Amino acid sequence: MEDFICPRCRTSKFQNPSLKMMVNVCGHGLCENCVELLFLKGSGNCPECRIPLRRNNFRIQMFEDATVEKEVDIRKRVLRDFVKKEEDFSTLREYNDYLEEVETIIYNLCNNIDVVETNKKIEQYKKDNKELIQKNKGRLGRDEYELEELLDLEKQQEDFRKQEIKNEEIEAEKKKIKNKEALIDELMFSDGNAKNILETFAEKAKEQEVKAPPPKMAQFSSGIQFGRQTQSTFIPIPNDEGPTYHYKPLIFETEGPTPPTDYDILTKGYIKNVRVETEQERAGGFQSSISCMRALQDALSGLYHTKKQSV
Amino acid sequence: MMENKLRKYEKIEFLGEGQFATVFKARDIDTGDIVAVKKIKIGSRQEAQDGINRTALREIKLLQELHHTNLIGLLDAFGHMSNVSLVFDFMDTDLEIIIKDNTIILSTANIKSYMLQTLQGLEYLHSNWILHRDLKPNNLLVNAAGILKIGDFGLAKLYGSPSRLMTHQVVTRWYRAPELLFGAKQYGVCIDMWAVGCILAELLLRVPLFPGESDLDQLTKIFGVLGNPTEETWPGMKSLVDYIEFKSFIPIPLKNIFTAAGDDLLNLLEDILVLNPLKRKNCMECLQMKFFSNKPAATLGSKLPLPRNIQKIRESERTSLKRKLVDAADGGILSKRLLF
Repeated sequence: MEDFICPRCRTSKFQNPSLKMMVNVCGHGLCENCVELLFLKGSGNCPECRIPLRRNNFRIQMFEDATVEKEVDIRKRVLRDFVKKEEDFSTLREYNDYLEEVETIIYNLCNNIDVVETNKKIEQYKKDNKELIQKNKGRLGRDEYELEELLDLEKQQEDFRKQEIKNEEIEAEKKKIKNKEALIDELMFSDGNAKNILETFAEKAKEQEVKAPPPKMAQFSSGIQFGRQTQSTFIPIPNDEGPTYHYKPLIFETEGPTPPTDYDILTKGYIKNVRVETEQERAGGFQSSISCMRALQDALSGLYHTKKQSV
Repeated sequence: MMENKLRKYEKIEFLGEGQFATVFKARDIDTGDIVAVKKIKIGSRQEAQDGINRTALREIKLLQELHHTNLIGLLDAFGHMSNVSLVFDFMDTDLEIIIKDNTIILSTANIKSYMLQTLQGLEYLHSNWILHRDLKPNNLLVNAAGILKIGDFGLAKLYGSPSRLMTHQVVTRWYRAPELLFGAKQYGVCIDMWAVGCILAELLLRVPLFPGESDLDQLTKIFGVLGNPTEETWPGMKSLVDYIEFKSFIPIPLKNIFTAAGDDLLNLLEDILVLNPLKRKNCMECLQMKFFSNKPAATLGSKLPLPRNIQKIRESERTSLKRKLVDAADGGILSKRLLF
């Protein structure tokens, strides 16, 4: 909790529970508000290490340790080029060696070990495997395949649902016609009261209509619910200004002579009759002019008071 | 006669309970007005050595003589058996509830209105030589008409006496001024002003500006924003009884914290949140600052945003009084927790 303080505005997680720390490639954190403020133009320098940064590269800090974020960043960059798959190697051993090499590169970059050397290595690798990288970029990985399958499945479900609704509608239409025919038949051939027959049929029709509607999809395939869950719908900001304010000093009915002002107390010698405040009192915000003023006000108020006024 | 008074008020609902009192919503049978009845608990013998609980005594003593739109009105006081009850204006909500309600947006005009009302009430109080000593959003009560009244005078006290020492253990910690935290026993209106500054900051941030977890942490939080005081900026601070040296902090410009606030508002805040109490502006000086005379003007009371449940009542008031009473009986009005 303590560590969760924006280094620029010092807002802590306690003060602002919705505080979001953002982090860039350099691994220094900033809160969302500060990022918005500092990187208005889209780019700027990190306030801590002065490295030029782009706003687009800011991500929400997911780990408390910013170095982890840095590693995530580097890993993403490195793995964009090191895209070899298991199929590209003849033996498992070779593949494992390759994976280890990738990890070494990432580790070095994260901990600033032989940065120049490592970057050279990456460049060399890029040159050597230019074709392969291009090819692999076009090739869909296993993950992508899975995603595609999921999307297909969703589409199928959607089609199926539409078909079902259509069928139901047709079915309902058919039933309605059937009911009508039955009603006419009944009216034509039975001996019962026409009114009673009409009523019973109307009731039947009502029962059928009450059938439950088809279930609606309530979530995306990823499991996230449709729509917003929060209750916070904001009340629109009203624009109802009153009159502009102008200060008017308070006036009290003291029933006595007007007491001296602050200025009078200091210049006309009133203050000399009061004990001078100590240094400690002054530091606490107390001044003898205050008590002098109060004493004078208390002494002067009510001097003109007469019984007539109080009745 | 007391018996008569007791029957004069009809209990409607329980509103809340604090350390010293229980508060009920009640109706004045004669006039039909809705009031709040604060029934003081008897308390321990130590507290009641004056025959009556000290906080209640303070409230009765001071409020009887104070009459201002922005101060809670004491309508009546009566005793029954060994109990004392005080009757106040009924207030629907308070600033704490408004600040914490995230469906309410507080515009500059709204904040200006709340600050204006607070400062006007406080100016009247200070002019009458009274310190409130417990200002916090929870004690700034607001009614459905948008009128703000300063409430809870349980800690209020006359000031300006040259010899009487006062306790520094006043004001809820988050709103306590630095000189009180350093143990000053002689102080003035500056301590109320500091609390006003903290409340203004909270209206902007919607969270407390200095949420200290202990008295020491409180000072750390304050200096963390404003920087450390020096002997030049605050002469004599080292003579305060509880003074201690803090590690040095670099002040953060208030602009970085209150990114949405305008310059006139920031100026006001900068002049209130000053570590040296003698440099802090008082109510009169604050009210004359540009912020209050600048546009946008303060929102009209009736147009101030209110929590949802109270807004409903305000609307229904226009249609029928009966519905309002039904609402109230159903507990439709937010019961507010009073802390004393």
